[in-house]
Amino acid sequence: MRWFLALVLALLAGAGALYGLTDGFTAVTAESARRQAVARQPRPIHDARIINTKDGAASLLGELEADGRVAIVNFFYTRCISLCLAQGSVTQRVQEAIAAQGLQSQVRLLSISFDSRDRAPDLGRYASSMRADPAIWRFWSFEQSRQRDALLRQFGITVIPAPFGDFEHNAALHVVTPDGRLAGIVDLDEPGLALALAKKLSAPGKIRLAGQATALNESHAGAAAVVPQATGRKGSSHHRRGLAGTGGSSQKDPS
Amino acid sequence: MIPRPPAVVFSMLAVACLAVALGAHRPLTASMSLHMLVQIPLLVLAGVFAERAVWHRGKTSTHEAASLKRKLWSYNEYGVPGLLLASLIGAAWMIPKALDDALTDWRVAAFKYVGLPIGGWVLGASVRRAPAIIQVFFLGNFCWMSAIVGMLYLDQPVRLCNAYSLSDQDWAGRGLIVLAVMLPLAWLWRRPRLF
Repeated sequence: MRWFLALVLALLAGAGALYGLTDGFTAVTAESARRQAVARQPRPIHDARIINTKDGAASLLGELEADGRVAIVNFFYTRCISLCLAQGSVTQRVQEAIAAQGLQSQVRLLSISFDSRDRAPDLGRYASSMRADPAIWRFWSFEQSRQRDALLRQFGITVIPAPFGDFEHNAALHVVTPDGRLAGIVDLDEPGLALALAKKLSAPGKIRLAGQATALNESHAGAAAVVPQATGRKGSSHHRRGLAGTGGSSQKDPS
Repeated sequence: MIPRPPAVVFSMLAVACLAVALGAHRPLTASMSLHMLVQIPLLVLAGVFAERAVWHRGKTSTHEAASLKRKLWSYNEYGVPGLLLASLIGAAWMIPKALDDALTDWRVAAFKYVGLPIGGWVLGASVRRAPAIIQVFFLGNFCWMSAIVGMLYLDQPVRLCNAYSLSDQDWAGRGLIVLAVMLPLAWLWRRPRLF
């Protein structure tokens, strides 16, 4: 009897530890855990001083709010020759989609460098190599490394130095609202989902669409059509990935 | 040289394992393979050696203490509950998220630095209580799991830990497969009477 009690206790303790470590048997990688955590509860982000392609410094939260559009954010560094290029071409496609669907007033793209070597000229060069339309896609870098580290931690981005001045880092599309909340993290393989989420979050756009009842209703209807599809596909993509919950998003960088 | 009592030797071994695992935690957690295959085993061994030391001391204990010990031991009959707990702790540390979180989440770090020596203690105490057949059962399960996880690590084209590189992940995978081969060999070496 005692033996059985101890057995049950051991099982409960072990299963409890596994439950705690896997976020309730839902994630075996930190990458899938951070995506699920944000999906469950959007998190407000810290402010940081950022520099742009014109060498001007500004506050990240201030910029987001002043712009008023939902941003799809990714993190990169200009010297990167592997993962960031893949990420860049995905973002190019999103840029085309935004232009094609006429979403310029609702959604924009931000690529933020975590490399302290990246300054305005580097960002500018990179932007032109990516054929970025400044009305849709902006490139930023951090002014201070301490603020950068705090923000990266909040986003759940881990950057590890690799040989030859390279970095390895996890990558995804981060949907950030103008009020400075990280509302969703979508795999690089699913840029359509990121765009749908950004569109949905900007749909209530009371500020811009105030007074235009029809437009407001339309965008609500559009959002309603997008939501079930978006959540459904998101769920299935998690199932499909199984152990490799990181998807294609965190390949080795300097390959 | 004066022959030392085994209790002292095992205490010293336990302290040495713990000192290395804690003292060198920065270099040891800098790579996935060292984290999984050196630091974590050292923490477990610290528990195993500490338990051995206490057991050797206990051999000269009083009658009352021995009877209390027997009573407590009836909870861990044949070591099965203890081995189950140790197996589950072993499984937990093969989850990539656990390795990542141990670097960023103090609760997981605490679970590592406190839970693993306790797990080692329970493991050591339970193995001594367990008949060979039960030892083989749990050892077989652990090695099977270790080998499969090692192959999965080797097989993954993407990084499973945000904090570790892909090549490092491959080394951890190879290490787990080697572990799955070495542990049964070590077990056979310790139990030569089977043949």
